[in-house]
Amino acid sequence: MRLYITLLLAALATLAAVLLGVWWAPFAVGVITGAVVGRARVAIPAGAVIGFLSWLVPLAVAHGRYGLGPTAQALAAIMGFDHQPLVPIVLTLVVGTLLGLTGAWLGTSVRGVVAPSARVDAARNR
Amino acid sequence: MCGVTAEPAVAERPAAPAIAPARRPGRRPGALRVLNLLGAVVVSAAVLYAAFFPAPGLPALGPAFNPVTGGWTMAADAQVTDRSFRLAGLEQPVRVLFESDGTAHITARTDHDLFLATGYVHARFRLFQMDLMRRQGAGRLSEVVGKAALDSDRFELQLGLLKTAQLEWQQLPASDPGHDVLLAYAQGVNDRIDEARSTHTLDAMFSLLGYEAKPWTPVDSLLIKGDMTQTLNFTDTPLAMALLTKSLGADLANEWFPTLPPNQQSPYDTGPYARPAVAPIEQMPPPAEMLSGAQPLYDRMAALPAGLISRGGASNNWAVAAGKSASGGALLAGDPHLHLTLPAIWFQLSMESPGYHVAGVSIPGTPVVLIGHNEHIAWSLTDAQNQQTFFYVEKEDAAHPGMYFWKGDWKAYTTLSYDIPVLGGATEHLKVRWSVHGPVISQRGQTTSVYWTGNLPSQDLSVLLAIDRASDWGDFTRALRGWLSPTHNFVYADDRGNIGLISAGYYPQVAKGQPWLPMPGTGEYDVIGTIPFEDIPQDYNPPANIIWSANQRQVTKDYPYYIGTTTNFFDEGYRANEIHRVLSRPGKLSAADMQALQTDTRDFLAAQIVPVLLRSLAKEQLNATESAAVDLLKGWDFRMDTGSAAASVWWYFWGYYVFEVFEPWWKSRAVKVDKDDVWGALTQDLETWTLKDPENRAFNAPGVGPRTGPDAQRKTFHKVIADLSKGLGSDPKSWAFGRVHQRVLENLAQVKGLNYGPRPDGGDANTPLAAGGYPSTHGPSWRMVVDWGSRTFQGVFPGGESENPASDWYTNRVDTWFAARLDPMLTAEGAAATRGAKSWEAHP
Repeated sequence: MRLYITLLLAALATLAAVLLGVWWAPFAVGVITGAVVGRARVAIPAGAVIGFLSWLVPLAVAHGRYGLGPTAQALAAIMGFDHQPLVPIVLTLVVGTLLGLTGAWLGTSVRGVVAPSARVDAARNR
Repeated sequence: MCGVTAEPAVAERPAAPAIAPARRPGRRPGALRVLNLLGAVVVSAAVLYAAFFPAPGLPALGPAFNPVTGGWTMAADAQVTDRSFRLAGLEQPVRVLFESDGTAHITARTDHDLFLATGYVHARFRLFQMDLMRRQGAGRLSEVVGKAALDSDRFELQLGLLKTAQLEWQQLPASDPGHDVLLAYAQGVNDRIDEARSTHTLDAMFSLLGYEAKPWTPVDSLLIKGDMTQTLNFTDTPLAMALLTKSLGADLANEWFPTLPPNQQSPYDTGPYARPAVAPIEQMPPPAEMLSGAQPLYDRMAALPAGLISRGGASNNWAVAAGKSASGGALLAGDPHLHLTLPAIWFQLSMESPGYHVAGVSIPGTPVVLIGHNEHIAWSLTDAQNQQTFFYVEKEDAAHPGMYFWKGDWKAYTTLSYDIPVLGGATEHLKVRWSVHGPVISQRGQTTSVYWTGNLPSQDLSVLLAIDRASDWGDFTRALRGWLSPTHNFVYADDRGNIGLISAGYYPQVAKGQPWLPMPGTGEYDVIGTIPFEDIPQDYNPPANIIWSANQRQVTKDYPYYIGTTTNFFDEGYRANEIHRVLSRPGKLSAADMQALQTDTRDFLAAQIVPVLLRSLAKEQLNATESAAVDLLKGWDFRMDTGSAAASVWWYFWGYYVFEVFEPWWKSRAVKVDKDDVWGALTQDLETWTLKDPENRAFNAPGVGPRTGPDAQRKTFHKVIADLSKGLGSDPKSWAFGRVHQRVLENLAQVKGLNYGPRPDGGDANTPLAAGGYPSTHGPSWRMVVDWGSRTFQGVFPGGESENPASDWYTNRVDTWFAARLDPMLTAEGAAATRGAKSWEAHP
C-alpha cells in the first residue's frame, strides 16, 4: 500500500508541477521516486507512466476545452510534417514519457550505487 | 532508505527466500550497478539535452512541446471570448469589441487609454510579428535564430535603423502628442507581455524558438516604421547603374536607362510647375573610380534577405470627385501592394476616443491608422518612388588613417560599436563608421557611404496622428509638411466631395553630378536640400474630377526638379495608364466600379504589343499549334484571367522577348546586373522600340546578326509555343493562365507549412490587380473603397487578424480577398449588433 501511495503522490505532484509550468517535473519527481522506491522494475515503468500521464492529462483537458486539431496541424506544419497532426501529439507524449522514465532510472541507479544494501534488504524482505 | 525494507506492499506478501540477483559469471554486482548508473546518466543527459536545448532544425523539446506552456498553448490563444479584466495604466474603462471576423473596435474615454488599449490588442494578436520586426531593424535576429540572420543584422546596424530610431525618440519633444502616444502604446504592449508570461499564453512561436519577448519601448515602434521605410525606398540602383555604365558603355546605358521614361505615361500632376528653387543639376562625366568599386557592394546587397532592399513598388490609389460620382459624394479607392504574408502586415481596427474617430488598417507595433478614414476624410497611399538613396565614394589616403576628405579638409569618421548576440555562437562585435553622408557600408576596394532619407530623424508618426485627426484638405496637407520618408502618394477624399493627391516626403537635391551613379564624397556632390513643399507633385480637385497614382512618375518631362530615373525608381506606368483609361470613360462612377477596377486584369502593355505581334506573324509559316495560339491572341480581350489561355501565351511571350533581345547584350558585354533588377526599364525600352522603332540597334545584338523587332518577335513566338507545348500539352486552348500563375501567401517566420497556396489567380505585374512574379508573393495587401455619398466604407486584406495558425482568424479573409469581395468597415456601434461579436471590458 505504501508503494502505491508513494506512486500516487508522485503522480499528483508531477501533474501539479506540470500544470504550473514546470514541464521538467516528470524527470525531477522521477529521480526522487526512483531513489525512494529503489526497485528498477517498479520505479522505471512507474516513472514512465507518470511522465506520460502528466503530459497527457493537460493535453486532454486542452483538447476538451479548445480542440487541439488545428493546433496539432499547425505544429506538424512547423515541424515539417504537413497534414500529419499525430506527429506532434506522439512527440509530446514521448517527451513526457522519456522525462519520467529517465528520471526514475537515474534515481534507482543512484540509489543502487549509493545504498546497495537497501536492494538486498528489499530482496530479503520479499 | 529504510523505507524500502519496510514497504508494506512487500511486507504483506509471504516471505520469500532471500535470493541473490542472478548475475553472469565473472561480473561483480558493484560493477553492474556502476554500469547501470553510467547508462542512466548518459541516457538522462541525452534526454535532458534534447529537452532543454535546441538542435539544428529542432527546438528545445521541453519548452516547445510541453502541454501547458509550449506550442499547444496556441489552442487556448485561438479562443476569443467575452471577458472583463484589469489593464495596468488605464485611466478609465475601455471597451474592445471584436466582429466575428476579428476586426477590433476600441472605444476609450481618453486618448491615452485609446493608445494603451491599441498596444494591448496589437500585442495580443501579433506580438511575435512585432518582435520579429523590431529585431530586424535593431539587428537582433541572430540572437533568436542563429547565424543565418547575421548578414541581415550586420547590414541593418550598418545602415543605421537603430541609431535613427533612438535619435527620433530623443528628439521628440515631450509636448508632442506623439510622445505620450508612443509611451501609452508601449505600456499596452508590455501589459500584454506581462499577462502572457503569467498565464503562459505567450505566442507559441516564442516557446518554439525558446525565447521570451523583452519589454516594448517607443524606440521599437520607431524601428518598425524604419523597417517599412527601408523596404519601400532603400535601393541599390545607383550601384546597378554604375555596373551597367561600366559594362554597356555610357552611351547604351544612358539610352536604355534614361532619366525620363520613353513610353506613354499618365502623370497626375501635369503642371504648370513653379520655377525651381534649387538650380538644376550640373552634370559631369562620372569619374572612372565611381564605377569601379560598385560590384562587391552590389553583390553583397543582392545576397541580403528579401525586403531589405526596395525592388520597386506596386500600389494603386485613386479618387473620384462628387461631380463624377454616381452617389453624389467623393469616392476613394486604395490598394497598397506589398509582400503578402501570414500574418498580414495589416491589422484592421477602429479607434474611438475624445480626440480620435478613425478606422482602417494599422501596422502592428505602431499606434496609428495608416490607411483609412475618420468622420470627414479618407486617405490611402502608394509609394512615390523618387530617389532617396545616394552612394558616395569617400576619398581616403594612407597619410590620414581613419579620415576622409570633405570640403577641403580631412575629417575623422564617427565610429559606433555594436554587439550582435548569436544563438549558438559567439557574440559578434561590429564597428560602424559614419561620414557626413551617412554610414560606411562597404570598404572593399573603396570606401562607400550611403545617404538615405530613412536616416533623417523624422517625426513621421506624429504626422500620421495628425492625419488621423484631420478634417479637411488644409489639415491634411499641413500635417504632411512634416512627412519625410518614404515619400508616398497620399490620395484624399472628403465628405464635402473634394479630392486630392499629394506626393509628400523628402526629395533630395544635389548641386551637381549624376545622382543615379555613386558620386564622389568630397563635398561638391552632396545633397543640398529638398524640393519646396509647394512644388512637390500634388493636385486638388482637378477639372477632370479624377486623380490617380500607381507608382508612376507623377509629373511630366517639364517638371524642373530631379526626382529619379526610370531604373527602378518609377513604375513602367501600365497600371496607371489602365486606371486612367477606365476612370476617364464618360459617365459617372460608383463604389462598385472602384471595386471592379481594383481587381481589373487588363494588361495595358499587352493591349499595345499583341496587335504588333500579330502583324509580325501574319506572313510567318506556323505549325498547327502556333496557328491555334495566334487564333487565341486574335480573340483575346487582354485580360490576365485564370481561365484565359491567351494570357499564358502573352505572359511567356513578353518574358521570353525581353530575354531574346537583351540576353545577347548581357552575355557579350559581361553585364553583372540581374536583369530582374532593371526589368522595368528594359520593358519600357522594348515597348517603345516595338511600337515606334522596330529597327533600333538593340535588336542587332552582338552574335545574332542584323535583325529587326519583328524578327525577334517571330523567333520568340516559335520558342514560346514550343516550350508551352512541352510543358502544358499540344492544345493551346488548355493552357489556362491559372495553370502557370499562382499566388502564395508566405508565413512571416518562413515556415513553409504555414503558407497559404499556391492558388491560381489572375493579374500580372502590369495589371491593376498586381501579381508579378512566379509564384506571385506580392500584391494588394489591403483593398479599401470609400463612398462618401452613401457613407459606406469597405475593405479586406488577405489573411486574418491573428498570427496564430490555429486561430480561425489566421486565414479567414483569404477567400473573400481572392473572390474580389470587400467587407463592410463598421463602426463600433454597428459591430456590436453583428452576430458573433465578442466584447472585452478593460478596467484600470
